[in-house]
Amino acid sequence: MTQGTDGTIQLVGLTKRFGEQTAVDGISMDIPGGEFFSMLGPSGCGKTTTLRMIAGFERPDSGSIVLNGQNMEHAPPHRRPVNTVFQSYALFPHLDVFNNVAFGLRRGGVDKNEVNRRTGEALELVMLNGFEKRRPSELSGGQQQRVALARALVLKPAGLLLDEPLGALDAKLRRQLQVELKALQEQVGITFIYVTHDQNEALTMSDRIAVMKDGHIEQMGGPREIYEAPETVFVADFLGASNLMDATARGSDGRGRCRVEIGDRELNAALGDSASAGACKVTIRPERVRLEKTDTMSERENCLGGRVERSIYLGNAFQLIVQLDIGCRIDVEIQNTGDRETSFDVGCRVCAELPADALRVLRSGDDARPTAVAASESPAPDAAPAADTAEPPRPRAGQAGA
Amino acid sequence: MSTVADTSSITDSGRGILHRLRGLVANPWGKPRALMVITWAYMIWTIVPVVIAIMFSFNDGRSISVWQGFNATRWYWADPVYSVWQDAGLREALFQSLKLAGLDMLIATPIGVLLALGLARWRGYGARPANFLMLFPLITPEIVMGVSLYLVFQYVYTFIHPSTTAQVLGQVTFSISYVVIVVRGRLLSIGREYEEAAADLGATPAECLRLVLLPLMLPAILASMMIVFAVSIDNFVIAQWLSCGAGCDTIPIKVYNAARQAPLPSINALAAINVYVTLLAVLAAFVLYRFLTRGERVKGSQGSTITKMGSIDFN
Repeated sequence: MTQGTDGTIQLVGLTKRFGEQTAVDGISMDIPGGEFFSMLGPSGCGKTTTLRMIAGFERPDSGSIVLNGQNMEHAPPHRRPVNTVFQSYALFPHLDVFNNVAFGLRRGGVDKNEVNRRTGEALELVMLNGFEKRRPSELSGGQQQRVALARALVLKPAGLLLDEPLGALDAKLRRQLQVELKALQEQVGITFIYVTHDQNEALTMSDRIAVMKDGHIEQMGGPREIYEAPETVFVADFLGASNLMDATARGSDGRGRCRVEIGDRELNAALGDSASAGACKVTIRPERVRLEKTDTMSERENCLGGRVERSIYLGNAFQLIVQLDIGCRIDVEIQNTGDRETSFDVGCRVCAELPADALRVLRSGDDARPTAVAASESPAPDAAPAADTAEPPRPRAGQAGA
Repeated sequence: MSTVADTSSITDSGRGILHRLRGLVANPWGKPRALMVITWAYMIWTIVPVVIAIMFSFNDGRSISVWQGFNATRWYWADPVYSVWQDAGLREALFQSLKLAGLDMLIATPIGVLLALGLARWRGYGARPANFLMLFPLITPEIVMGVSLYLVFQYVYTFIHPSTTAQVLGQVTFSISYVVIVVRGRLLSIGREYEEAAADLGATPAECLRLVLLPLMLPAILASMMIVFAVSIDNFVIAQWLSCGAGCDTIPIKVYNAARQAPLPSINALAAINVYVTLLAVLAAFVLYRFLTRGERVKGSQGSTITKMGSIDFN
């Protein structure tokens, strides 16, 4: 339990079925030592099951887990060099803080002085010295979370597995702990595998993110890459807000941009596969749309006429819902600068510019599912209601990036 | 004029009283008084017979229906012939009951805990029927249980004769179910998380059981011990069917027999002792439970899963 070595974690073709349901469907990933790696996805995407397989609580049906270069196939949980921070912390209610943290050290046969020293250090690390004699029930949620962290970190594991550890905390505390957790990870240099459904959490803390869906990895990469260059409709939609529009691609315009037809207008999209042709989806982030008040139809490139339908005050920004003349509706986010001139009233005519360098063409194909297009304003009539279950194996996105 | 005013004021106040009475019972914003009245009526109805029985154990005279003055000790130990302590039959019945209940508690509890562990963690085929069968001794009429045990010991397991051993075996048979149900409820409510956490921190399955599961189960184990003691000490049917005769008589058997002859207040005293012992057992269970789970009661609104204990809850 105490071998603090390189901390690499490799998963090869990991698969887990529960009865008829495939929870994890052939996941492979290669996590170098010291990385803050997040698994991000909606509930039921298999992220927690993957984590539980790494910890040893579930047995994979096929595939292997290699920790520190050692295959863990026959290792029960108590012989694996990883420790877990549970979503509900699972602090032993009958032991005080000190004994909770010292629990693992005592199992490892560490002598008494060493136990005292290291437990003290771990509690200091999470800023909880002085709380040794408290019972878990006498601590606040954030303090319990720190004890859970100390209890796992005190063993100096090769990898720390965190299952939505901030899920039970309120928003403000969660933001504070995100920063602390990242700083702590950099300080101790242990590989973190962090499971979450909160995209903000994943984006703020991770070195690398795997976006998961239905038991497979949709895309894997750095936070910036995932957010700014989503490869699939699902990723674009799951991370942050996206405007998804049905379009027809007309191939490259010769300058590395793709000509896409939405309604009766042709736009240029600089991101994504410029050579694609046929039915596709086009996406743009709400904060990248530029709005201008105008009464006349603009003929500028990538400018679409429309009308403000709703304006929602968000404090730091306004969220505007704009009905475009070509038929679809888009979300636009305008920073609240306090300037009356830049505010848009409901009903006013606007020109929405979708800059080419913010407009991305996404592969359609396997992603044309009802769940994935839920945010798309134009309904997809061809999508069968139950098409998202029991499908034949599909090409996997993101594994090439491993 | 004045008469009119008077009558109106009388009807007003009359209506006011009715209104206030109604408000006392049916005020939706007030305390649920109607429910409180029903509850207290029920409690008094059930407690009165017990209180009267205990009261006559302190009767100075020989009657169990006419109050002849207070005497705290006569029927317990002071009367040289008829008191519980001096009458050999009553004294032995008391010890026989305590012996049966004690043995039952000590044998049924460990077996029940092991069964509960197995049943709570057993998944797959057979788990559901086994869990259902566990309830069987509780829903079987006790007389059926008693007769069947008697017949089984008489014709199948012939090496067991009607005796204290047979009585203990019979009581253990059905009291295991209480232990299983209480402990399994606790196990299900504490979930697998603590076990997983312990294993994750390097505890072997044996250490996990000793250091995490047993301490967490302890309140339920103690509670079920006390329940077993309480149901065992006043068990009549099984003890009667497997009795070896006068030497195996328990408190309930003695009380039953005496009630058909000319009972003395010493029988009340014997029954009262039974009540005291049961109450003490329940009180001890409550105090121990509160003490052992003191760390689990969360201050403030935030509760943990463990606070919501399964089948038995003294909170």
